[in-house]
Amino acid sequence: MSYKIMFRLSVMLTVGLTGFFTSCTDSEKVKREQYYAEGYQLYTSYCSNCHSTDGKGLGDLYPPLNRKDPLPSKELFACIVKNGISEKLVIDGKTYERTMPGNPGLTDLDIAEIATYIYNKWGTDTTYTNIYDVKIGLEKCKQ
Amino acid sequence: MYLRFHQTIFWLAGVISTSLIAGCNNSDSKLPIIGERDTIERVTEDGQTVVDTIYHVIPDFSFIDQDSNTVTQKTVEGKIYISDFFFTSCPTICPVMKKQMLKIYKAIADDPEVMILSHTIDPRHDTPAVLKKYAEELGVTGNKWLFLTGEKEKIYEIGQRGYLVSAKEDENEPGGFIHNGAFMLIDKNRNIRGMYDGTTDEGAEKLLKDLKKLKTE
Repeated sequence: MSYKIMFRLSVMLTVGLTGFFTSCTDSEKVKREQYYAEGYQLYTSYCSNCHSTDGKGLGDLYPPLNRKDPLPSKELFACIVKNGISEKLVIDGKTYERTMPGNPGLTDLDIAEIATYIYNKWGTDTTYTNIYDVKIGLEKCKQ
Repeated sequence: MYLRFHQTIFWLAGVISTSLIAGCNNSDSKLPIIGERDTIERVTEDGQTVVDTIYHVIPDFSFIDQDSNTVTQKTVEGKIYISDFFFTSCPTICPVMKKQMLKIYKAIADDPEVMILSHTIDPRHDTPAVLKKYAEELGVTGNKWLFLTGEKEKIYEIGQRGYLVSAKEDENEPGGFIHNGAFMLIDKNRNIRGMYDGTTDEGAEKLLKDLKKLKTE
């Protein structure tokens, strides 16, 4: 009798947990897709002029973003997107010296969405970039 | 009945305009000459009065290129050339224009008859040395594609009155300048034969197509 109850309970628990996890991954997936779609729009308006729609950059003027590792860290990524950069940047052994203007009007969410797009499309990410990673990055670059 | 009459007129208008457009697209037709034209009457040797049309011509100019050489109308004598306006620190449409122009540059690489003149509209910043670096980073060498700088007023003047593009300073635009991203196709008589959207693939492709046509004249 107690076995039966235990069996029933375990079945219920399994079903429940599976359902819970599935819905959880589903919502993560949906979020990734939302971020990616928004990120694509933002990339088109803010980045693609220089870095090109295919992420290849332009000659030695503007660095490519279609690399496995678009930038060494997401923190640096957030920092550069928001504030721009006037220091030299070495990417794949090539030095890029042109100043990139900042985009002070972009919100943390905007930047997370752009990162999601770039790192999923060309990098190795399979999930969305968390808005907190952007916040931490921006805090760090203030210092 | 009234409706049917309307429909007929509409239909007729459609057919007529379609045939007109089709007529204009005739591949044998020459490229138009763009700009205002004037007429002048003159008396020929045998006493007849004839009317000549005077077309808009790019006026004489003198600028300095990325190698600090002086570039004038003599530099493009006997050549077809493509002209545009940009500046090296432009974050908006210039990179897109330069990507398209690079495509054109590669397409005309082996054609000694064709040149490109890109004028900076920010000469204070874009000195020959800055333009040289820009050209190199873009992958441009030699003297087929010249990046020109010079007196600001002269550059704006030839932009507006010569090439008929708007190249004006605007502090509200990112970078402080406004311009429309056009490529102009100039023939050997310095007449403008086409204007293209330098920010799109379609614009660049149309230009290359028209260039081919122009070369057969």
